[in-house]
Amino acid sequence: MSIIKTENVCKSFGTVEVLKNINLTVEPGEVVVIIGPSGAGKSTYLRSLNRLEKNTSGKIWIDDILMEDRVNGKNLVKMNSKERAEILLEMGMVFQRFNLFPHKTALQNVMLAPMNVKGVSEKDARAKATELLERVGLGDKLDSYPSKLSGGQQQRVAIARALAMDPKIMLFDEPTSALDPELVGDVLNVMKQLAEDGMTMLVVTHEMGFAREVADRVIFMYDGVILEEGAPEEIFTNPKHERTRQFLQSVL
Amino acid sequence: MMESINKIIGWMPALIQSTGVTLALSVTSVAAALVFAVFLALGKISRNAVISKICGGYIFFFRGTPLLMQLFFIYYTMPQLVPALNIQSRFFAAWLAFTLNVAAYLAEIIRAAIQSIDKGQMEAARALGLTRSQAMRLVIIPQAYRRMIPPICNEFVMVLKDTSLVSIIALTDLTYQTKIIASNKASALVYIPAMLIYLVITGVFTFIFNRLEKKLSIYE
Repeated sequence: MSIIKTENVCKSFGTVEVLKNINLTVEPGEVVVIIGPSGAGKSTYLRSLNRLEKNTSGKIWIDDILMEDRVNGKNLVKMNSKERAEILLEMGMVFQRFNLFPHKTALQNVMLAPMNVKGVSEKDARAKATELLERVGLGDKLDSYPSKLSGGQQQRVAIARALAMDPKIMLFDEPTSALDPELVGDVLNVMKQLAEDGMTMLVVTHEMGFAREVADRVIFMYDGVILEEGAPEEIFTNPKHERTRQFLQSVL
Repeated sequence: MMESINKIIGWMPALIQSTGVTLALSVTSVAAALVFAVFLALGKISRNAVISKICGGYIFFFRGTPLLMQLFFIYYTMPQLVPALNIQSRFFAAWLAFTLNVAAYLAEIIRAAIQSIDKGQMEAARALGLTRSQAMRLVIIPQAYRRMIPPICNEFVMVLKDTSLVSIIALTDLTYQTKIIASNKASALVYIPAMLIYLVITGVFTFIFNRLEKKLSIYE
């Protein structure tokens, strides 16, 4: 029983192959950190899981349900849009650039999807949003617009917003790359807490400290393939592949 | 001097009355065009190629031919082609021409504003489970509103002045009335109050739009 499984996922932009036969299985509750140089296909892979990118070929199972079986870009899995939407809701996503809705307050950002997608009442949505924002340390910023928040605060609102939909899986696409160094810690702490609470997480990041401390498994991607994977200790102290060694040397 | 001023004051009732026509024509046609333009803009960015082509073609036609000719076409050519389409009311003919024409321009303004919203907004909305149309309605369009205000204001001011074209089909707007007075009284002085009236109206509307823009930008 796996929560995410991908088989031979390939993706090309024109003639450029960005993903080449990615096979990965993630167990419930597992924290998987994907590292690698830019252009390795880490973000593309993450985005293909919740269909922000359409793969060229390969299979994707979410929660043991086959969602995608693509051949030449065409999905062979027939599924009505409601069913598909429900499965996609099992994944929450956090973006590098936060992508908060600038015309909504922190509270409204978090309340929007539960009310409009799940039909939660305003009262319940507000209560839950308040609780989530308190959990990420922003109980005093409920009515602030994103433009009045720091990058770190915005990213924590974005995490709360994703959590409001009760996802089983959280996808983090370089969540701290756009942050000033002194703001990174707050965001990582929230993520660490989430991992401790048992959330399944797939994290693309350059924060090696976080990978080392929180990850159950580290994946090293290079040039569209998974070159190496293993427990963080293994990867960081004894990388098997020359490329991994070079990469770690350059970032550590 | 005194005499001139007295003359001008004497013309004011007729000028103000015809200003009503100018205002009614611009406000109602822009309002109707705005509604129509939303559909045109959404149609043009639609993923349905047929709808997109039709809306694109419409916009291309109305932006690519002179408004004056469109006005002639609706008032003179259409009845000749199809007698049933003989529009008796000059006001309605003018209104129709302006609505159809302005909608094409407004559609481009709306489309540009929608497409100027960061792609990440749609992605975030979709990742949260919103459908494309919900994302448009709740996330994209509310942000696009504010960006539309200045160009729409600009367009409205242009329309207000362009309505002077309707004097060509003898609709008694401010410009036509001014010309009547000028030729009947053999005095070109009447252009002074007429221009001032245009200036006051455009000034008032520019002020209103500026206020609106400020009000909508509270979150920035």
